[in-house]
Amino acid sequence: MKPSGNDSSPSTSASRPLLLDLNESLQLIETTMGESSDLVVRHMQIGKTPCAALYIDGLVDKETIQNFLLEALMLEMPSKRVSTKHLYQIIKETSLPIGELKEVDTYEKFFKHLLSGETLLMLDKVDKALAASTRGWQDRGVQEATSESVIRGPKEAFTETLRTNTSLLRRKIKSPELRMDSMSIGKRTQTDVVVSYLDGIADEQVVQEVHRRLEQIDVDSILDSGYLEEYIQDGQYSPFPTIYYSEKPDAIAAGILEGRVAILTDGTPNVLLVPALFVNFFQSSEDYYQRADIGTLIRILRLACFNIALFMPSLYIAFTTFHQEMIPSSLLISLAAQREGVPFPAFVEAMIMELTFEILREAGVRLPKPVGSAVSIVGALVLGQSAVQAGLVSPAMVIVVALTAISSFVLPSYNIAIPVRMLRFTFMILAATFGLYGIILGLIGMVLHLCSLRSFGVPYMSPLAPFVPKDQKDVLVRFPRWGLFSRPTSTSKQNETRTNPTSKES
Amino acid sequence: MVKRKCFKRIIPIILVMVSLLMLTGCWNSRELDELGIAVATGIDKNEEGEFIIIVQVINPSEIATDAPTTRPPVSSYTITGKSMFEAFRKLTTKSPRKIYFSQMRLVVIGERLAEEGLMPALDFLYRDHEFRTSFYIALAKGESVEKMLSVITPYEKIPANKIMNSIKASEEAWASSKGTTIDKVLSALRSPGENPVIGGIELIGADYPLGDNKMNVEHVDAPTKVELDHLAAFKEDRLAGWLTEDQSRGLNFATGDVKSTILQIPCKEKGTIGIEIIRTKAGMTGKTNGTSPPKLEISVETEANIGEVACDMDLSNPDTIDYLNKETEKEIKKLIESAVTVAKEDFESDIFGAGNVFHRDEPRYWKKVEKDWNKHFKEMDCEIKVQADIRRKGNTTQPIDKKG
Repeated sequence: MKPSGNDSSPSTSASRPLLLDLNESLQLIETTMGESSDLVVRHMQIGKTPCAALYIDGLVDKETIQNFLLEALMLEMPSKRVSTKHLYQIIKETSLPIGELKEVDTYEKFFKHLLSGETLLMLDKVDKALAASTRGWQDRGVQEATSESVIRGPKEAFTETLRTNTSLLRRKIKSPELRMDSMSIGKRTQTDVVVSYLDGIADEQVVQEVHRRLEQIDVDSILDSGYLEEYIQDGQYSPFPTIYYSEKPDAIAAGILEGRVAILTDGTPNVLLVPALFVNFFQSSEDYYQRADIGTLIRILRLACFNIALFMPSLYIAFTTFHQEMIPSSLLISLAAQREGVPFPAFVEAMIMELTFEILREAGVRLPKPVGSAVSIVGALVLGQSAVQAGLVSPAMVIVVALTAISSFVLPSYNIAIPVRMLRFTFMILAATFGLYGIILGLIGMVLHLCSLRSFGVPYMSPLAPFVPKDQKDVLVRFPRWGLFSRPTSTSKQNETRTNPTSKES
Repeated sequence: MVKRKCFKRIIPIILVMVSLLMLTGCWNSRELDELGIAVATGIDKNEEGEFIIIVQVINPSEIATDAPTTRPPVSSYTITGKSMFEAFRKLTTKSPRKIYFSQMRLVVIGERLAEEGLMPALDFLYRDHEFRTSFYIALAKGESVEKMLSVITPYEKIPANKIMNSIKASEEAWASSKGTTIDKVLSALRSPGENPVIGGIELIGADYPLGDNKMNVEHVDAPTKVELDHLAAFKEDRLAGWLTEDQSRGLNFATGDVKSTILQIPCKEKGTIGIEIIRTKAGMTGKTNGTSPPKLEISVETEANIGEVACDMDLSNPDTIDYLNKETEKEIKKLIESAVTVAKEDFESDIFGAGNVFHRDEPRYWKKVEKDWNKHFKEMDCEIKVQADIRRKGNTTQPIDKKG
C-alpha cells in the first residue's frame, strides 16, 4: 500500500503471484505462516484435480464451510469430468452457494483474505485462488451501551465487529447514498476501517480530507479508534477533543445525517465522528428524543456544569484568599469559622482534595465491581467525613470538590470532561497566584485557544464564533424537531433542507 | 524535527508554570483564618486630642457554631494615636491578626469628635482602599463609643449587625432615623447648600456592669442594650444639636425619605385614628421674586391607609375620609414645620439642603448668598404644601364598636 521505510513486509513472498503448482504453493504458505497451529489445510480431490481449502480455525464459521463449501465441492462436483481450467470456472460461477466470493492472484491478497476469516480454495495448475466469505467468530453481540446510557431512545451499542457496526448504521439509514468506503490500516494488524457518510450531504472536502489523513497513517498496528484519533486530529497539543466519538449507532447516524463523516474501526465499539465542534460535546442524543423545552434546559444546565467543573475550586481559592470583600458577610463568617484550625492554605487544601478525588475516581474505574464499593466507602467516609472531623480540611472545601466532581459527570461526552479535569488544576494555580485576575487571564487564553482550533477545516467554536445565526437553533436552545429545518451549515454545505416546518400539526 | 521544535516551545511554558507554583503565597493573598474581620469601628477623641479607635472584630468560630463556648462572639480592640492612620496601624500590636475592614458595616462616631469636626476622621475612611463606602455612620449619643461597641446584644450575635439592621428597619417602617453612608455625609459636607444629618445610637442601661459580658444576654430583657436615637444635625462638620423624634420625621418627610410611618390623627370627638403612610413624594422649590427674604416651598404628596380606628366614626361616609385627609395633611405639616423651625432657629444649619434648591432654581440669587448661606437660611421663609390621599381601610370597613 505504502512505501515502507523501516519495517519490512511480513513475508518476502508477499506480493508474488500465486504459484501454479499446488504443493509448492502450499509449502510456501506453510513456511510463511510458520506452521501455525490454527491454519487448517484441507486436501481434496475434485474429479482428478487436486485442490485444497485453507482457513484459520476460530475465525471461520465451520458450519458454513461444511454445508456450502465442502459439501458442494466434495459431494456434488465429482460427477463432472472437466478440465482443470473449466473446473475452476465452474466452481467460481455455479458451484459455490456462498454470498461473497473473490478471486485472488497474489500472496499478499491471499493472506489478507485468509487472515480475515475467509476460506481460500486453491486448485492445482491454476494461479488463482477463490476466497469465500466464511467469516464467523465469537463476539459479544449487540448489547446495551455501557458508557452512554439513556432513559429514552435506542439502547443498542456498537460492538467490536466492523460488519455488525456497519449493519447497525445501514439499519438506521436506508438510503443508497450512505457510503461505506473501506480501507485497511496498520501494516501488521491490517485493521479494517470504514469511512461512512451520506453522499450529497456531507461536505466533499471533509470526506476527501478524512481519506487523505487516514491514508497518510503509516503504523504497524491499530487496536482502537483512539489510535486513529491521535493521528488524524487537529490541534495535536490541545487538550480539547476535535473528534467526537460515540458507541451509540443512533448518535453516529444523527451525525451522518447532519453531513458529518463517521470512521468505523474494526475491533472497537467506539466510532469516530468528524468534524466535531465544541457545541457537539454538549449535545446528547437524548436531547432530540425528549421534548424540546427540557432538552434546552438540560443543555443550559450542562453548560453551567462545564463552568462549575472548570472554575469552582479556582473561584473558591480566589475569593477566599484574595477577594474576601466580594463574599457576603454572613457567608464569609461561616467560611472563616470553618477555616479556623485548618493547617493548610486554601490552595493546598483544594489541591489535596482534588487529587484525592482523582485518585478515588481512577481507583473506581479500574477495580473489579465487588471491590469498587469498598473504595467508595473509604473515599466517602474516611476521606470526606473524617478529614473534616480531624480538622484537616474545611467542610466548604469538601462541598466544592464534591460539586465539581458531580458537575463533571453531567457532561454527556467523556471526551470533553478530560480538558476540564486537566485545566481545573491550571486554573487553581492561577487563582492561587493572581486571584480572579489570574482566572480571567487563563480564561482569555483558553477562549483564544478554542477559537484558534479547527476540526477538519471547520472552526471549532462555530456556530458561536464565527457566529452563524441560522445554526443557533441547535446550540444553546434546541428548537422543536419541525424547527430544525436545515442542517448545520458548518458541517453540511449542500442539500440543507431537513423538514418542511408546515408538516407539523398546527 | 517538528516534534523537537514543539518540545522546545513547551519546556519554557512548563518552567514558567512551575515557577508560578513557587511564587504562590506572595503578593497580597491572605487566608481566611489569618484575618480579623472587623464589623464595626468606633472613632472618638480623648482629652489630649488624640484619636481613639475601637475596632469590633468577630470571632467566626463562635458565631457559626453548633456548640457555643464561653467566648464572646465579638472582641474589641482600643487604641489611641495622633492620626487615624497611625492608630489603625498600631492596632497590629494588640490584635493577633491583621484587621480586615472590607466587611465593616458600621462606624460609630463619638460626640467629642463630632463637636470638634468630622473631616479628619472621614478623610481616612474615604481614602483608604480597604474600606468600602457602603457602611453606615452613626453618632453615639451621651455615652462613650467604647462602651457602645462593647455591648453584647441579644438575638443578633454581632452587635454591629444589630445596629445596622435596626437602622434599616426603622428607616423603612417608622422613619425617625436615617441610614447615612459616608458618601451621603461627604456630599452634604462638600456642598455649600446643605449640611449633613447623622442618625444617633443610644446606650440603655449603661450603669449595669455586665453589658460587655455574655451574661447580659442571659436575661430575657437584656439590661444593657443599644437603641436607635433620632437624627443629629451638623453645621459644617461639627455637631449642632439633636432633633427630636417628631423633628426627625418632619425632616424625613420634607426630604422625601419617608417610606412608611404612622401618624396619630385626632377623631372628630375623642380618640385617635392611626394612619399608615405607604408612599410619599416630596419636592422643594425655591423662589425669590425680587423680594427678600427668599421663600422655600416644600410640597409633599402622600398616600396612606387607615391602620387603626379607636373611636366611633362612619368610615363609609366620604366626608369622613375628606376630614381624615385634611387632618393627615395638618399633622405632616406640623412635623415639617417643627423641623424647619429648629433648623433655622436653634441650629442655624441647612439640613434640608435648601441651599441646593436655590442653587438650582435661582442661580443668580444663589451666587450672591452662597458665601454666608447659613445666615440667609435663618431668614428664609418656608411654605409647606401637603396633599394626603387615603386609599384603603383595611379588612373591615367600619370601626368594630360602630353602632347601627
